[in-house]
Order: sequence, then C-alpha cells, then structure tokens
Amino acid sequence: MPGKGMLLSSSPHAFTPVRTPQLMLSVIIALVPAAGYGVYLYGLHALALILVTVASAILSEYVFRKLIKAKTTISDFSAVVTGLLLALVLPPATPLWMGALGAAFAIIVAKEFFGGLGANPFNPALIGRAFLLMSFPAAITTWSLPNGLQALDATSAATPLGMIKQGTAIADVAAYFGADGAGGLYRQLFMGYRSGSLGESSILLILIGGLFLLAMGVIQWIVPVAMIGSTMLFSLLLGMDPILAVLSGGVVFGAFFMATDYATRPLTRAGQALYGVGIGLITVVIRKFGGFPEGVTYAILIMNMIVPYLNKIRGKKYGYVKPLVPAKSAKPAKEAAK
Amino acid sequence: MAVKTFRGGAHPPEKKDRSSGIAIEWLRDVKQVVIPVNQHFGAPLQPLVKVGDYVKRGQKIADADGRMTVPVHASISGIVKKIEPRTQSNNTDGLCIIIDAAPAPIPEGGEVPAASAATAAQNDFMPPLDAFACTKEEALMRVRAAGVVGMGGAGFPTHVKLAPPKPISLVIANGAECEPWLTIDERTMMERPADVVEGVAITMKIVNAPSGVIAVEDNKAYVLPALEKALAESPRTGRGGMDIKIQLLRTKYPQGGEKMLITALTGKEVPSGGLPMDVGCVVQNIGTLCALVDAFRDGKPLIERGLTISGGACKKPANVVAPIGTPVSDIIAAGLSEADDEALRRVIYGGPMMGVAVPNYAIPIQKNTSGVLLLNEEESAFEEEETCIRCGRCMRACACRLSPVLLAIAIEDGNYKEADKIGLLDCIECGTCSFVCPARRQLVQRFRVGKQVLRAIKQKEAQNAR
Repeated sequence: MPGKGMLLSSSPHAFTPVRTPQLMLSVIIALVPAAGYGVYLYGLHALALILVTVASAILSEYVFRKLIKAKTTISDFSAVVTGLLLALVLPPATPLWMGALGAAFAIIVAKEFFGGLGANPFNPALIGRAFLLMSFPAAITTWSLPNGLQALDATSAATPLGMIKQGTAIADVAAYFGADGAGGLYRQLFMGYRSGSLGESSILLILIGGLFLLAMGVIQWIVPVAMIGSTMLFSLLLGMDPILAVLSGGVVFGAFFMATDYATRPLTRAGQALYGVGIGLITVVIRKFGGFPEGVTYAILIMNMIVPYLNKIRGKKYGYVKPLVPAKSAKPAKEAAK
Repeated sequence: MAVKTFRGGAHPPEKKDRSSGIAIEWLRDVKQVVIPVNQHFGAPLQPLVKVGDYVKRGQKIADADGRMTVPVHASISGIVKKIEPRTQSNNTDGLCIIIDAAPAPIPEGGEVPAASAATAAQNDFMPPLDAFACTKEEALMRVRAAGVVGMGGAGFPTHVKLAPPKPISLVIANGAECEPWLTIDERTMMERPADVVEGVAITMKIVNAPSGVIAVEDNKAYVLPALEKALAESPRTGRGGMDIKIQLLRTKYPQGGEKMLITALTGKEVPSGGLPMDVGCVVQNIGTLCALVDAFRDGKPLIERGLTISGGACKKPANVVAPIGTPVSDIIAAGLSEADDEALRRVIYGGPMMGVAVPNYAIPIQKNTSGVLLLNEEESAFEEEETCIRCGRCMRACACRLSPVLLAIAIEDGNYKEADKIGLLDCIECGTCSFVCPARRQLVQRFRVGKQVLRAIKQKEAQNAR
C-alpha cells in the first residue's frame, strides 16, 4: 500500500507559527523600557521588587498546579507577565515580601482558582494590587521621589494625582516636581520624572511598548483608544484637566497593558469599545468623587465583571447585511440545494 | 487595476512556487481506474453496467433520475472488473466501478482494425453542440449529460447552477485558487486561457448574464498576459461582443470561497442560507469552465481532470491531467510525479486548509480532486490542543464575521441555542480560525460536528411542531 501509518486528522492541516508563549514574550519585551526606567529611577530595590514578584508568580503557579496535579504551565510565560505587571503598578518602595504575597494571591486566587490561563474573569495583576492596597493601605500608598541608584527614600512623597485630589493648583504641583508651569509639568510627566508606581513613570516609554504590541498585532487599538479618549472626555466634562488626567497616574499603562489583557477584556469590537469607554468613565468618577486619588485599578476590575455581557454585543455577521432576504425568496434556493 | 479583496481571512504560507512553473502533463495510458459512482452533491446514482461488460471511454456508466443528479462516465475503455465499495478521497467507503483497460472485443468474424482507427472507435463521445446556437434547454441537457459538476471541491451539479430561478448579472471565473500548494488552476489559466474565456462565454450565454469576470489572486499575476491575449482574440468578445473582464485580487485565504469571492468583487454579501444567485452571481471553477468547453466543442464528458501533486514528501511536484478514477499511486508509477515514501507522514486529497487526510495515496482521483499533497514530518505536525487564551485572533480572521471562540464555548457547553444565534450554520468551514489559533484550538473541527448536531436538533423540533 503506497503510504503506511499516515497521520489522519480533520482539516486544516496547516497552522500559524505564532504560539501562546510568543505572545506573552512580546508583552514582556514591550514592558522592558518602562521597567528598566523604573529601575533607573528607583534603584536596586525596584529591581529586586520586580525579580521577587515575578519569581513568586512563577513559583505560585508551579506549586499550585503540582498540588492539584495539573499540567505545569509556567512555560507559557503568562505567570511572568502577571508578576511583571503587578510589580510595575506597585509603589517602588513596596517591601519585597509584600510583592511576593501579592503575586501569589494574583496567581492562585485570581487566576488558578478560576481554571488558569484564559479562564480568569478578573485581571490577576490588578487583583494582586487591589489585595495589597486593601491589606496594607499605608505601604501601597507610600510614594517615593525618584532617587537614582542611591538608597530609596521611603518617606512619603506626594503624587501628582494625590496633590490634585487634595485641591492643589496645577502650578503648585508643577513647582513640587520642579517643573515650569502646566506645560512644563505635562512635558515632565510625559518624559517620566515624577513620583508614582514603579513602571508608570514615563508615558513615552509606556507608549513605545504599547505601540510595539500594536505593531506586532498582539493587541488591538480599540480598547486603549476608547479608554484614553473617554478618560479625557469625562475629565473635561467634570471640570478636570484632560491632559493631566491622562499623563498622571496609570491611565496610559492601564490602557495598553491592563485593559488589553486577553482573558478579561471583551472579544467583540463593540464590546471592546464600550469596555474602554466604561473604564475611562469609572476612573474619572473615582478620581472626582471617590476616596482614592487614582481609580484605574478598580475601574478595570469593575468593567471585568460585565465582560460576559459585553461579549453579547456582536457585529453584523456575513450575509445579514441589509437588505435581508425575505424568508419566502430564500426558500426555493434551499430546495434547489437539496 | 485596483486590487480587490474581502474583510478578514489569513495568509497561510503559499508554497505554490514548488509547482507553479511546471507545465501540465497528460496521463492517458492507465491500466485501471476506480470510478466512484457518486461524485456530486445530491441524490445517489445507480450503476448502469455490470461486471464483465465492455465499456468505451466516455460511455455513461452510472446515472439516476432527479434534478440533483449528475451521471458518471467511463474514463478509459475496458472491461468492468468489479463493482464494490472502495475508500474514496473523502476517506469514506463508497460504491466504485473498477475498469481494467482493454482493447475493444473483436466481433466474431470481424477484422482487427488499424491501431489509429481502434483508438478513435474506443471513444464514446457525444456530437459537438454549439452553445451559442442551441436553446437553453439543449445546453443544460448537454451539461448534465456530460457529467459536469463544480470541480473546486463541492461537486455541485453544474446544470443546476446554470438554471437559477433568479436573474444573473455576473458570471465569475474563480481563479483565486487560495489553497496553499495547489497550482492546477493557475497552470490551466496559463495553458488553456482561450478555453477559460470560452467557458465564461458559454456560462454567460446559458444564464443570460450581461457580464463576466475572471478573478485572479495577485500571487499568480503572471497568468494575466495569457488571459488578456485570449480575451482579445476570443470571437465572443470585442466590439458589440460579450463583456468579460479580468480582476486582480489581493491574495488572502479563503478568497476562493464563493461568498468571499463575490464580496471581494462586488461588495455584495450572499444572504445567510442563500446562494450566489441571490445576489445575481454564478461562480465557476476554472476546471469546470474547461470541462464545459470540452462538453460542447468535443462532446467529451467530464472524464479527466487536472490536479497538482506536491508537498514536502513529493520529490517531483507536478501538474497532471489524468482520467477520473486513476489512483495517485499509478500517476506516480507512470513517472509523472515522485513520492518520498521515507519522509511521507501525511496524505491530503485537496488543499491543506480544507482537504481530507487519507490513509494512503492509492485512492483514486475524482471529479473534485484539485490536488494531492504528500507531506513530510515537519508539515504534518499535529500539536496538542492548549488552553484558549482569548486572544481574539479567530474573531478577526473569520471571513463570515462569526465569533469562533464564543461559538466553540457555546458548543462545548452544549448550548446549541446560543451557537445558532452566533451563526453556527453560517460557518463555511474554511478552517481559518483553526489556522490562526496560537493555542491550536480545534475550532472548525468542533463547528463541523456542531453543525450536524444543530441541524438534527432543528429537524427534530420541526417534526415535533407538526
């Protein structure tokens, strides 16, 4: 018989070379500029925090899956992404053990309890951050001024958003960071010399990473554009500076790296647009009326909750575009096909 | 020329360069053919011959009453050796008529005819028929009598396609050939351009369409000069003649699907559950167009077809025309192609995206076999299914704009009501979703099974409603 022991399977018989670990690696690469700059600003403790958080994420996933006798999945790099993302949204002076605890909570409770990769309804890194914020409110709201590679000054510094929350005028915020007026403050925030989360300093470097992911086709533009756009719009409507709203805090980082998380964002285009707009709205509402100066974390987690409903908003399928054929005229066609 | 295309789709590696420069070779001298009785989409046929009968090349050997039937003809002259189920190219067993090549029996007392006369006498073709002078009914009868079906894969009866109950404004020659590896359509356009144009003209005449277009993907734009020359020289076109154009398409899978092709060319969408005629189009495969020309000009039924033999375990890629029913192993034994049996891991009848994996390459070619792929280890990699990461690549690639990931979840949940709503029955099973999946989810595979389940559910519901 010509050909023996042939492999049989249902078509297709060709597959894209792009695999899951590659997508995760792209995200890690995209985060390198922001993470590197964070280390440059905040020194060795920042580097240690990143390493410990990532290691804890990997270890938690490995141990948990061993315990439940499931296949080890650390080689898909998704735990690395979660650990890295968590480290980058923590204050740079966060104690190392806290970072490790947050990562373990993110992986075990937010991801693995729900079934692991792709099955988690909430963004694990943000759950980790929210968990730490609730458990250790003082530590997670203690900000440091960029201090280079010297010992980290953990005495509390003000963040731009925190100052605005307290009613400080923009000119005074600018003065605090040594910037010249509102324009100078914008420039400084964009370039990244300010207090804030480890990886959220330089909007420029975050944008470079985000645009890299867009260019590689790893993420799509709808969520970031909708989220940033709606943050600006609603800030303006509520009488806040729309440019400052985007440049300060975690909006840009959240838009490109948190809100685009595959498992926790909607899949349909219309769903994604509404999701982005909703995050922007909730962020602004929290900033304006809530108890916290920043609201991106909770805004994304709240919108995560309604993703299954957003997935029901689907676009027009092929062949349903008007004019719809009346049932009568479609019938003879079907009979002919028989 | 503006290059057109459709929304969605993917770019599987084309791999056409292995066989695109290779001219078509004809295989005529075949010792045995295994002709499946049922090679069309429709009602089953009955064999008209019995074991021991002598049949002539072109003689009808199976037929049935009914509109959705297309007869089958002997592709070589010889003696019917067996009529039994054999494995067909769709990897299921079906009734086949096996014919051993043999010279015509000499009538008692007769003389042995000269060799050339013998060859001619062995053909049982119909008289030529002028498609432009006969009536529509005569033309349709000829198309059916010649056993012509859609040769692109589905095997839809061409005489039914050419008698649409709706007015047709555009006849489309499907030269997209979007399946990787396959090059038989492009070679046919290159080597038989006049017949392609004539086939479009015949189709336009029968369905009374004012215009026609030959659509070619731009990865085989090299065939355009040949087609343009044929258009210019055709007696059907020119001043006051038929309006036939050539249109380039941006290469993308699944552009050769009727629906995508129509949308790429006209911007119109074939309504759900409808056919191309619902938007005034008739789409014809390149091979089918040539079969039409053969049927009218030579009275020759569809007893041969062209196919590409290629793949990493094929040492001699080829474009071949062979009698229907020829086992591919015999095409290789005749030296037209060469298999690397050491490296061979997978045999595909059809293209890699929609073709069928079969257990061996002794299976005969039939009217809808556009290619046979002999794949090596590397090309046969079948990776384990991993967890869906919800990246949404399938959503963007689906040319029908269904939501494959959500559809798969609904099917896994057994929620067929939701699957129906998402559009399970609109799936054309092109396989793009499974191709783009980074977790190797078996999406289209689930949809194929799911469609059958959903149809059964709907049938049951309809019965209960009665």
